[in-house]
Formats: sequence, C-alpha cells, structure tokens
Amino acid sequence: MQQTQQMQQTVVDHIDQAAEDVVSLVLRGPTGPLAPWEPGAHIDVALPNWLTRQYSLCGDPADRDAYRIAIRHDPLTRGGSEYIHRFLRRGRTLDVSLPRNHFPLVSAPEYLFVAGGIGITSVMPMLRAAVASGTPASLLYVGRSKASMPFADELTSRYGDRVRVVATDQEGRPDLAALGSMLPPRALVYCCGPASMLDAAKAAFPAERLRMERFHAVPRQFVPNTEFEAVCARSGQTVRVPADESLLDALTHAGRPVVAGCREGICGSCELTVLDGDPEHRDDIGASAGRMYACVSRASSPRLVLDL
Amino acid sequence: MTHTSTRPRRVSPAEVRARVGEPEAMIKAKVLDRIDDHSRRFIAHSPFLTMATADATGLADCSPRGDYPGFAKVLDDRTLALPDRPGNKMADSFHNLAENDGIGLLFLVPGVRETLRVNGRAYPTDEPDVLARMQTEAKRPELALVVEVAEVFFHCGRALIRSRLWDPASQALADEIPPVSEVVTAQLGIDIDPAALVQTLEEGYRKLY
Ligand code: FES
Repeated sequence: MQQTQQMQQTVVDHIDQAAEDVVSLVLRGPTGPLAPWEPGAHIDVALPNWLTRQYSLCGDPADRDAYRIAIRHDPLTRGGSEYIHRFLRRGRTLDVSLPRNHFPLVSAPEYLFVAGGIGITSVMPMLRAAVASGTPASLLYVGRSKASMPFADELTSRYGDRVRVVATDQEGRPDLAALGSMLPPRALVYCCGPASMLDAAKAAFPAERLRMERFHAVPRQFVPNTEFEAVCARSGQTVRVPADESLLDALTHAGRPVVAGCREGICGSCELTVLDGDPEHRDDIGASAGRMYACVSRASSPRLVLDL
Repeated sequence: MTHTSTRPRRVSPAEVRARVGEPEAMIKAKVLDRIDDHSRRFIAHSPFLTMATADATGLADCSPRGDYPGFAKVLDDRTLALPDRPGNKMADSFHNLAENDGIGLLFLVPGVRETLRVNGRAYPTDEPDVLARMQTEAKRPELALVVEVAEVFFHCGRALIRSRLWDPASQALADEIPPVSEVVTAQLGIDIDPAALVQTLEEGYRKLY
C-alpha cells in the first residue's frame, strides 16, 4: 500500500545554471528506465545531508531514461536548495521517490497556463503535452526579472507566440483579471507560483476552471490539538500522539519512521492508509478516502488504525 | 597508588616551549580568518561538533551539539549560526558567553579523520531569518548563537587515527560502560527503580526538537 515510500536510484548526470539563482539537474537511472510520470508530477529527492525535498519534474515524460528538475536557491534555505546549489556534484547517486501527481492535467478543449518563477517547472510538461495533442494552449510566464527566469528562452523558441514572458521589473505585474474576462468558455486554467500569484488567479478565474499548485501551505486555523492513539495494524504497536507532536513525529520517535518532505501537507510524501477511525484532515492536497497525510493531519476520534 | 606525590609536577611555559617547540610556519599559515569553500563543505556535512566557552574567571566548559549535517549555518564567510535545541545545555554556554564571548568549535564528519576548528566570538540572537533556516520538525528554535569567525583551520587526523574513532570495532567499548541509569543512581545517591529512570530518559530522547 505504502507505494509512495518506494525509492529509485539515480545518478546526477548534469548540473546546469538555468537562471541567476536556479540550477537544473538531470538525474539518470543507472541501470535502465525510471518510473513513468505524467505532467504535473513531482518526486522526493533524498539529499546526502539527510534532508528530503520535493521538485516538480520539468523534462519530457517520453524520456524514460532521465528526470529533469530545477531548483531555486532559497535565501532562507534550511539546507535543501543550498545543498544542491553549492555541494552536489556530478556523478553522485541520489535516491528519489516514485513520481506522485497532485496536479494532473485534465483533458480540456483549451488551456491557459500561468506560471510564476520556479512554478514554471510543473507547467512546462503540461504545455508540451497540450501542444503535442494539438489542443489550443497558451502560457503566461511571470518572474521578477528576465535573468531570474529559467527556461524562458527555451520556451519562446519552442512554442513561439503561445508563450508570453513577463518580467515584472520591466513591465509590472500582468493583469490576470483581464485575462480572466477573455478566457474562452470551457478553457481550463493551470496556475503554479507564489502565494501572491495564486491569490490573484483565484480572484481572476472561475473556481471550477482553475487548478493550482502551491509552494507553501496556506496558513489556516484548526481546532486545538488533542491527544490520540495510532495503532499500527501490521505490527500491533500502539503509538501515543501527544497534543504537541505530529502523527509523523510520534511514529518516527516510536521507531516507525514515515518518509516526509514538506511537513506542510502539500507534497504527499507522508501519505498513510487509514483502516479505522476518523482522520481530521489538515492538508492542502485533499486526501482521498482512506488516506491521510501524517505531517499535518490528526484524528477526531480517540484512535486511528493505520496500515503500518 | 600510582603516584608518589598527590599532584603531578607542573612544567613551566618556557620548558614546554623547549620541549615541543614553536608551531611550524607551515602549520600556522593554514589558519584562515574566514570560511573558505573547503571549510564550508566540511561544515555542510558535519552533524556534530563540540563547543568550548569559558566564564569571566576562565573556568572552561565544553559541550556536544548535534543535528542533521549542516545544522551549523554559514551566514557568510565570517559568520556562523548554531541553533539552540533542547538538551544542548546551551544555558551554560549563554551564561559563559555573556561574561566572555570567546568560543571554540570543533566540527566532525563521520568517517573523516581530519577535523575543522573554528574560533571566534559569539552572541545570542532571535533574528527571524536566522531561526527560519533552522526549522526542523515544524519547530524553530527560540534562540540561535551567532559566531563571528576569527580563525578557521583543519586539524590533522592523528588523534582520530590513534583513537580508532570511526572503526566500527571500537563500538565494542560501549559494552563496558554501565547503563546511564546505574551511573545516575550512583552519582545522585538515590535509590530509584532503574527501569523507571530508563523510561524517563528514553521519553526525553524521543523529543529531540
Ligand atoms: S510531508 Fe509533505 S504532505 Fe506530509
């Protein structure tokens, strides 16, 4: 069941500077093809400094030999992006998860893609797929300066006037509301970028036609934490989850480690299968029936039985 | 009794110099006044360090600090920051540093025989951008220690080679050390159920952040 926790080995084949503070990596399967994926998918990358980070796959799904990801150096890095930018070397092996997709491209007669900054990574394969299938599609790609925007030239040369690149230091922020008013009927909008962009998109486009992927969880209020018990069905072990500890941490401290990435309920690495009890969902992914994300979600029943 | 006198003989500084000599020029030259790329890479892979401070009277204290590799953050090539985590006994260090801001750090990377020494001056901070870089398990520390670096240098590996510190066989030594519950019971002179003590201790170890 815990399929998402399976890892595959890759080798760092290329490290390229894709923009002023963005590098792109090509990760090659050492022995053969890597697991397949579809536009919108991301992987967990287990770094040599014990941190795990999520990155959208931005290459070509038809290329089964390698994954491409791009990483922006975050000035408030806890050690993930800094590690990749400063210390990762070509030839190093890296374990990555199987691809997961919380941002799938649903078939539509027409698409508008809106990407902000490094958000371009999840959108690029979508544009590729739409164009390949002959579906009308356009991309608005926004960044704070031309030099900070990875793949801008590659995109304009490949897709011509389907792509509009806006550097806000030159042109200011684009008017999403205007785009919204011109949105062809039945077109779907896919948006990935910083919170400010997602807020603007929410205001500009009808909710039922807008799909978004966020970098960080939206701050929200929840009912106060209560203590509960997690029963690991396979081992029979019962783990007490105190009010001030997450389910993820309680399981890890009890010797049942669960793979984690974002710890914010957005990446999906820590997905668990719930056999009994009522999870109280606090993630931004939208857990499917019988599943929960251990990093943020808790229980509204005193006991949860987990397939662990 | 192995000694005839109660206190070992004190050797004068002049006599010491005569016996071990001055530090060699070549070794002296390796002392940098900033964190270069090699030291930065070493720090980024180090999950453990020891930290020495002293109070105004010179009474010294050395304590261990550890977390994921790179937990010590290089803010720039002359500034480091260390998170304050529970169980660090950071309070002792903060107390010393308030009187005497000198600090000495020794970084270790498992498997590497050479160690990295960083000396400087330190002060506590609650700068949000610094604390944000130290967030683990959804918690950020209350305080961090900023180290203004004065000296950075690699220390040769002889001590680690002689001590066989990274040799897995050396771990057999642990079998000869009594469980901590026994030590605590003896040192505190209290008679409590060792099982209860172990449980309290393990509970404490469960919460690392
Ligand atoms: S760790 Fe990312 S959803 Fe839980």
